[in-house]
Amino acid sequence: MTPPCSGTLLQRRAVLRRLGCAVALAVLPKAPAADGRSVELTIATDGDLLAFKPDRLTCPAGARVHLTFKHTGKYVRQEHNWVLTRPGQAQAVEEAALAAGEQNGWLPRADPRVLAATPQCSKGQQVSVDFIAPPPGDYPFLCTNPGHGEVMHGILHVTTE
Amino acid sequence: MRKIRRHFHGLAFAVGLLAAFGATLSAGADLKSPSLVKTSLQIFAGVYGDMERKLAAKTYERLPHENQEFQDGAAAMRDAIASEPPAFKTQVETQLKKTLAASQHVADTSATRDDAQVHAALDALATSLTDLNGLFPESLRVAPGSVPPPRGPHGPGGPGGAAPK
Repeated sequence: MTPPCSGTLLQRRAVLRRLGCAVALAVLPKAPAADGRSVELTIATDGDLLAFKPDRLTCPAGARVHLTFKHTGKYVRQEHNWVLTRPGQAQAVEEAALAAGEQNGWLPRADPRVLAATPQCSKGQQVSVDFIAPPPGDYPFLCTNPGHGEVMHGILHVTTE
Repeated sequence: MRKIRRHFHGLAFAVGLLAAFGATLSAGADLKSPSLVKTSLQIFAGVYGDMERKLAAKTYERLPHENQEFQDGAAAMRDAIASEPPAFKTQVETQLKKTLAASQHVADTSATRDDAQVHAALDALATSLTDLNGLFPESLRVAPGSVPPPRGPHGPGGPGGAAPK
């Protein structure tokens, strides 16, 4: 004989089990490249200073990268972006960005030298970009706002898979 | 009698001078927020460096924007010294106002697009900024224009960007 409310009890258990799984998944840290194909990268400004923190990132070639860029500035009203370029092309991209002007977000449009770029980010905000990691090598990244790239830059080190 | 009075005045002046110097020194050596002082001086030095680069690139029209950033940096300095003794705060505020005026002058001069004039304004800003730094212990000072490491061999565009294998 089925006890009364057993259906409800089973349903409750099922709900609790699902809830437990959801909580466990939420608590688990996101393992970088856990499946070898997807990576979460986070980078920030060094507060109000013209620098990225960290200035060196690593990911495996071919990985699906989700990069979050946080502007941790508190005082200075300046915008920044994060732009990944082909090796040896950062300076040229910086010059092209200056030519592109503010109306284009200080970024040359459809420029093959640019591999990925976030939108402009104001202080206290964060932006993100998704891209597929290029072949192994060291790829420069920089902020293309006028005058920033010379000091606000770093390297994405892409490893073999 | 006159001789004694003269000696007394001289002594009082010397004591006053020493007291003022001591107050500055002790306030500077025992700051409540040294890291924020350092940060604000880094902001000023960084923006100054950015102004220099804009001038080198002759992008005069960007200098007012840099001045705005410089003025924003003043808030960091004011927060940094908020809990300091009033005499020291006044001293810093006086110099800060001079430095902000010098930065404003760079922005105003940029409208002339005259390289020599903008250079002179920028030099005056550097001097004023150095004086502001001088109010703080040496370990916190950030020389105008000294910014994070410049484009090095591993920087963008440099040979560090190795070709894909």
